[in-house]
Amino acid sequence: MRRPVKFRSLLVSVALLGAAAGCATVGEQAEAASGIAVRLLAVVDAGDGEAACALLAPATLRTVAEDEPCPQAILEKSLPRPGTVVETSVYGQWAQVKLDDDTVFLGAFPGGWRVVAAGCTPQASRPYDCSVEGD
Amino acid sequence: MRENSIGLVFGLLFLIVLVGQAYAGLAVFNEAQRASGLPDVAFWRYVTSASFGVDVAENWQSEYLQFFLFIVLTVWLLQRGSPESKSLHKPGRETDEEQKIGPYADEKSPEWARVGGWRTSVFANSLGLVMGLIFLGSWLAQSVAGVAAFNEEQLSERQDPVSWGQYVLGADFWNRTLQNWQSELLAVASMAILAIFLRQRGSSQSKPVGSAHEATGVEG
Repeated sequence: MRRPVKFRSLLVSVALLGAAAGCATVGEQAEAASGIAVRLLAVVDAGDGEAACALLAPATLRTVAEDEPCPQAILEKSLPRPGTVVETSVYGQWAQVKLDDDTVFLGAFPGGWRVVAAGCTPQASRPYDCSVEGD
Repeated sequence: MRENSIGLVFGLLFLIVLVGQAYAGLAVFNEAQRASGLPDVAFWRYVTSASFGVDVAENWQSEYLQFFLFIVLTVWLLQRGSPESKSLHKPGRETDEEQKIGPYADEKSPEWARVGGWRTSVFANSLGLVMGLIFLGSWLAQSVAGVAAFNEEQLSERQDPVSWGQYVLGADFWNRTLQNWQSELLAVASMAILAIFLRQRGSSQSKPVGSAHEATGVEG
């Protein structure tokens, strides 16, 4: 089943960035970001720590791997099973993917989106509390 | 060349300073990128970003607001002794004869000053209209680029993005807006008043050095 993806994004960023730099549109970027977020949760759910760690941003990977190898540590972070994408927001170098059971933050890297924080739950008027994130 | 040197020199300085702003802004942006664990962005990526856009637009809108207000309000507002004010006995829009409109136009008057009707009405207010429209366009651009830049920062701090409506009613938009407005209004007020008592020999913005402090509407 195709995941419903609701985009809340900014036309100016799309037009300027897309036209000027020959980049993907914000719609395509949102699709790519939500794909990475769902993939992370899916490979963790499948017990594939190696694949999960390959999706993390470098700083996040270092933090996760502080006490034990990342492929083991990431599986112990109590990330939820992959759910339905509710909303994806892309602004500049950052993306946020809201799923029905999780919120994932991603950053733009030369090779594409990487997960900066996952397992995030909202806190009233404060930053999300995330089980996986960098320092 | 000399006869167009004000436009040429200021246009050139504008471009040089804009490029300087872009490089300085890129350095600040990339510091924030590194602090968030993200890679540096290239120059071209930065100058097409919302962050650069809002920094440029917020200054443009305030400059054009300054000129719009100065142009329109000085139809009625006066300042005794200031070269920025017109003569004290001429407040208001003045007569068609004083403004060389319609039948009072001379052979060198622009056609739209001579023809009457809507074209003369538009032309008679065209400077204020264009400045006002550029102000509104820049302010709108500030809000659109501003919400994107603000939301980029929100996401980098693991917080939810806001809508355009929330942004234009929020603190970031008004902080950026009002800090620019206050400086422009101060500059106008201080120029109008300081030029009563101070002189810059040879400048079109100053009274002649020997003019009386009370002389109003006189430019060098």
